[in-house]
Amino acid sequence: MILVRRGRHAYHKLAWLEEKQTKMRHTIFRSGWLISVLFISIIMAGCPKKTPQNIAGSSYGSSGSSGVGESDLAAGGRVQDRVQGEGDGGGPLQDVLFAYNSFELSAEAQQVLQANADWLQSNTQAKVEVEGHCDDRGTVEYNLALGAKRARAARDYLITLGIPPERLSTISYGEELPQCTDLNESCWQQNRRNHFLVLR
Amino acid sequence: MLGVLYSAGPLEAQIRIEIPTPGGAGVPIAIAPLSNPAAHPDREIGRIFADVIARDLELSGLFRVLDRRAYIEGPDGFVLEQINFQNWSVLDASALAKGGFWIEGERLIIEARLFDVTQRKQLGGKRYQGVRADVRRMAHRFADQIMLFLTGEEGPFNSQIAFVSNRADGRAKEVYRMDVSGTEVRRVTRDRTLSLGPSWSPTGEELLFISYKRGGPYPYRLNLASGRASRVYAKVGYGASWSPDGKLVAVSVEQRGNADLFLITPQGKLIRRLTRHAGIDVSPAWSPDGRRLAFCSDRSGSPQIYVMDVETGRSRRLTFRGRYNTDPAWSPKGDRIAYTARSGGFQIMSIEPAGGEATKVGRGEHPSWSPDGRYLAVTRRGRIYMLSRDGRSIKQLTGGRGNDTSPAWSPRLP
Repeated sequence: MILVRRGRHAYHKLAWLEEKQTKMRHTIFRSGWLISVLFISIIMAGCPKKTPQNIAGSSYGSSGSSGVGESDLAAGGRVQDRVQGEGDGGGPLQDVLFAYNSFELSAEAQQVLQANADWLQSNTQAKVEVEGHCDDRGTVEYNLALGAKRARAARDYLITLGIPPERLSTISYGEELPQCTDLNESCWQQNRRNHFLVLR
Repeated sequence: MLGVLYSAGPLEAQIRIEIPTPGGAGVPIAIAPLSNPAAHPDREIGRIFADVIARDLELSGLFRVLDRRAYIEGPDGFVLEQINFQNWSVLDASALAKGGFWIEGERLIIEARLFDVTQRKQLGGKRYQGVRADVRRMAHRFADQIMLFLTGEEGPFNSQIAFVSNRADGRAKEVYRMDVSGTEVRRVTRDRTLSLGPSWSPTGEELLFISYKRGGPYPYRLNLASGRASRVYAKVGYGASWSPDGKLVAVSVEQRGNADLFLITPQGKLIRRLTRHAGIDVSPAWSPDGRRLAFCSDRSGSPQIYVMDVETGRSRRLTFRGRYNTDPAWSPKGDRIAYTARSGGFQIMSIEPAGGEATKVGRGEHPSWSPDGRYLAVTRRGRIYMLSRDGRSIKQLTGGRGNDTSPAWSPRLP
């Protein structure tokens, strides 16, 4: 389990670095982004993967409560997948980042949303769930509400860019699904985000 | 199931033992293992009873439980005339708890008494009757009685603390509950998703919590006896709190991306909307008389604590210091509101509901009051702690794997 998480964490760090580099390249070489996705996929292939047994929760016999291995079957919904770290291979859309305790869309955030809107315009079948996330320098319930405001802000902006509202849903995860758990600003910044989950 | 048959001579003696304060030196007390007059083969019962009481009294911050290995007198002889108080005064014990147990089949009877060693008097006694599995509950109840006999106020240990933890698999968050002593931890939800923010029904039979098991997140209520959970409200919600009379639930609900407070019935019928503006309104917490709600709102530009008159819907800002004040909790006596303040790290603060200067309790977040109003359960670095209301006594309740957060202290259990 630890290995798995380390692998995932390392992946996120890479993904984030990659994202930064991508942003720098963005203006010069737009398709550089696709290359990074490919690059990340290659790295991912080398990372230890979660086994299906882990997803089904067979590990929880080790919680020490009883010697009998018993597990619940995962409901298999997309939230469960997100909680279990599945169903989030980065995706074709970029995250939008926020300032501390803010749901305002910066000029940079608006640029990212424009790029995401462009992708949605050329992939007319795609529906997207806009996820609002927060760093953990807030309290749980307030952060749930703040995450909802972040998700709503991005959704509303995408609508003004011409994306039909029926293709967009929102969900707040508050501080519950951090990208990264280090105690520094670069990590907190990664967690204050909108993630865009393309639904199939 | 567990009944008190009689109470022997409560408080007939005037208490000379100084009323202890949390974090002070503590009243030196001896807790003898229970005598086993019928020589039942299950000798553990008597030791478990004493261990549970010793741990509770230690956690209270009011006592110094004397090391059992030093006791001169054995467990036998647990009524006034049979005790040689000399044996206890030489240990510097001010108070002494002794008793006996009887087992008939599955039935368990415990008789326990508290004595003032200096005055050589009985301060109180209780007889408990139940099944063998009740021994811990009986002990918690007698610990509460010891606190009553010595402070005039019952203790908080016949209750439970619900909390959220990812200890099962590191990712999913489930609701758990445990004894106040941090033992008897039981998993409440098994949904393998995010279950957040538990809060108790006034009877202690049900929990409200927030779950993502069907997306949302939505507020749910769960019956602890049956384990069955049902969605309370069909709108996305972030936190819910049962009114003290059990008839209403205050819930923060998403309205077009913004959280507002609503009043619903526990069956999910909308009574009325309580807040209506562009700011976030979350974390409703009832006053013990059910007339007011403390809550957190960022209508001023930063999250602050407000108090609302439920009848009129009128709100008043309570906190003005700092840029981040959340998670209000109204003390069961009604005299304080505890909350989380963020300035660098998280601090538990406490303020009078009428306003005034807030006082610092200690590090931590998400305070929840004990039923006697003397303690707060808080979370600190992924562990649940128990703080005395003045912050002088700090005890860790959980440990081990995973992150434990969002403690919710139950009312006194039957």
